[in-house]
Amino acid sequence: MVNENSKKSFIKKMVPNVFKAAVWGVITYVLVGYLPTLLFPIDFLPFGYGQLFDLFVGIAVFFAVITNLFSGTIFGYAFSIARALIMIIYFIAAFNGGIVSLTMPLREFTVSIVVDVKAFLTILVLVNLLGIGKSLLQVTGFLAKKVEADKLN
Amino acid sequence: MKQAIRALAIATLILWILLIAFAITAVYSVMNLGINFGETQFFSSNDNVVLSLPFSINNQGYYDISELNVTTHVTDYNGTLLALSETFVPLIASGSNVETAHNISITLTDILSMGYTEFLFNDSSFELDTFVALNFAHAIPVQISMNLTIPWGAPFSNLSIEYIPPENNTLVIPLSFENHSFFDIVGTLRLEVYNNLDELVISEQSSLNVSSHGEYDEPFEMYLSIGDLSKLTENGNLRLVFESPMFTVEQWIPYG
Repeated sequence: MVNENSKKSFIKKMVPNVFKAAVWGVITYVLVGYLPTLLFPIDFLPFGYGQLFDLFVGIAVFFAVITNLFSGTIFGYAFSIARALIMIIYFIAAFNGGIVSLTMPLREFTVSIVVDVKAFLTILVLVNLLGIGKSLLQVTGFLAKKVEADKLN
Repeated sequence: MKQAIRALAIATLILWILLIAFAITAVYSVMNLGINFGETQFFSSNDNVVLSLPFSINNQGYYDISELNVTTHVTDYNGTLLALSETFVPLIASGSNVETAHNISITLTDILSMGYTEFLFNDSSFELDTFVALNFAHAIPVQISMNLTIPWGAPFSNLSIEYIPPENNTLVIPLSFENHSFFDIVGTLRLEVYNNLDELVISEQSSLNVSSHGEYDEPFEMYLSIGDLSKLTENGNLRLVFESPMFTVEQWIPYG
């Protein structure tokens, strides 16, 4: 009886989360994966960066779904922190540590372009760190609330 | 705690919006950057040969382009630096158009003083290394480098001079060459005949005007006096001296 009740409450809790996760997954895909390709054609990206863009969309959609699916639980916050950490690693790898270099043949000569995006990358990392800070505060608040509730019960 | 979380959430959201907006507008600005190259021009002034690369940058993006610096190194096939040119544009403001030219000036007398007379007689090629440095949106430094090989046409290509022993006190020396360069050869040409004791026997001078990619094929006719004839030996050297405002060059050719 107790098990059935907890199952029911779990399903009750999960159904809106599943719905929310699906909606956020679609919204994230549209914002991150679909709209940019409408603004700028994917061919505009240099060779190799198309795959990195797909990976970015994949990470963003996966974490949008998973964090919303587990929202209201400690796992939701853990996934938020994991998303920020993976994004930091992704940005550092995608921007090659802040120095992006490309070499392309142009008529009879070769052109190499080096773009120093260290400032931009630093801001990206700092924003993600800020996100981690926010998630840590949220998880602290969540745990404090839980302990308080347990003590009251 | 709640307020701190809310403040952090708002700050993070604002920063993300700003970053995404910057990224989109930056890409849009780069796509709306019109870079046009004009026709490469060659011209000569005094002792300089100038290669002019006109270009224009039409910045229709949202961000300024600052500290545009174009540097060109001209090297020979051995990597020896022959010329270094720099063009600096301090600012290309958003919505503005800048037209300028990058001039690569090669001083022929300097090259000749380095012992590169072969460039005057043999076709060759130069290596042109161009570096472009700029600051996009005052925040993103960009460096572009390219290298290309440019052919060099010698002004006295296929120089041919033949010594024919004198007949009837007249020395006729046929001289021909092709001007493969992009500039006209205007100046004086002096031919001196030296005997095997390095004594000057006779000299003759004529003015020269050979257009770019033109040919010169005219004999030098020199009338020898009895004294000159007595000094002339079966072998010796011919000295060819070309003088122009751009450069002076001489060539020794043995005969006999």
